[in-house]
Amino acid sequence: MKHTLKYIFSFCFLMSLFLVQAQKTVSTPTTTDQNKLEGKITEAPKQDLVKPAVTSVSDTIPVKMNRYGVRVGVDLYKLTRGFYDSNYKGVELVGDYRLTKNYYLAAELGNENKTTVDSRLTSTAKGTYIKAGFDYNGYENWLNMENIISIGLRYGMSTFNQQLDSFKIYNPNPYWGELPSIPSGEKYSGLTAGWIEVVAGLKVKVINNIFVGFSLRMNTLLFNKQPDNFENLYIPGFNRTYAGNFGAGFNYTVTYFVPLYKKKAIPKKNN
Amino acid sequence: MFSISSCEKDDICDANTPTTPRLIIEFYDINNSTILKNVTNLKVIGKGKTEGIIFNTSTTDSKYLTNGTKISIPLKTDMDSATYQFILNSGNANASLIDTDEVTFNYTRKDIFVSRACGFKTVFSLNLTNPYTQTAVPATKPKWMYISVDKSNIENENETHIKVYF
Repeated sequence: MKHTLKYIFSFCFLMSLFLVQAQKTVSTPTTTDQNKLEGKITEAPKQDLVKPAVTSVSDTIPVKMNRYGVRVGVDLYKLTRGFYDSNYKGVELVGDYRLTKNYYLAAELGNENKTTVDSRLTSTAKGTYIKAGFDYNGYENWLNMENIISIGLRYGMSTFNQQLDSFKIYNPNPYWGELPSIPSGEKYSGLTAGWIEVVAGLKVKVINNIFVGFSLRMNTLLFNKQPDNFENLYIPGFNRTYAGNFGAGFNYTVTYFVPLYKKKAIPKKNN
Repeated sequence: MFSISSCEKDDICDANTPTTPRLIIEFYDINNSTILKNVTNLKVIGKGKTEGIIFNTSTTDSKYLTNGTKISIPLKTDMDSATYQFILNSGNANASLIDTDEVTFNYTRKDIFVSRACGFKTVFSLNLTNPYTQTAVPATKPKWMYISVDKSNIENENETHIKVYF
């Protein structure tokens, strides 16, 4: 499992690099397209048509303003999962604040209560987590578009407790018969864990200030306070644990953007 | 990604993972206590069971018989004692050659977490004051086994827990 996760991890990382690069390669053909268009126009009719086109272009450039503000919202996946999965209750609030043209401070705050049913164990993890870090928007928006394709980092921390609901004894020689699972109820509290997340995200403005977003996360545990004679099988915010330090997650968000101020977009030299 | 993870290796308990250990018994020569001695057609049956403990991969009833110097017997993971009949020369046509001892091992248990896939294992600790009780069957016959506890903590199968001299 460790190896497959590592593989997925590096693959996602690679994909995110492609995303950033894709923007650059796309931008160059558009300039050549513009040149082609202009070339055709100068050949065609004459002065009358050429002039208005030029003036309209020179008008729009200085008008472009970038909006800065706070975006707040909720993870719809966690919120709705409780309706169809009786083993899960959870909520995650998400937010970000635009620092510069491309950088956003970002954070998630959540609470989860999840019962994990494994073939030999049933356990419930309950707890609160916070993740804080930044997103870098690699997407170059046109005109007044405000979409985001980002790559980011988070530091995550969770305080939680676990309860062993029931367990089975593994006996490779069941001469006396296979025993049913044993109810337990043993509680392990005061557990903590911290981790780093690499986040690949996407946010699209659907109407006015409402955005929908999706993010994929690859996690690496930095520390994990384990209970005696048990293991942290699920860490709120980090999700399921594996044999190594790796984990994965995602969210599906709806957010509302609260604009605070505007700043002139500094046009990049394209031509 | 999630569908792959649901059938990954760490969901299946690896057969090489040390889990609930069996009681390891070695047989020695009563006349020379350092020399291992082979048993002849030894059969071990748990009390209340009709079939013996399987000692080899044979497909016939000889799978219940052993002629080695070492056996591994599973203890009960839900009770603090387990009783077995140790039948030497089992199945011999001459009934007078068959020796049967009934032994109860008394122990305490502890459930130890292994992993998500394996769950827990049980380890045992033989009681210090009365690790076992032994009777001959029938009681008029002498006991054929002289039992000595070598290791009272039964935590793995790499060591011998009980030495039997005969």
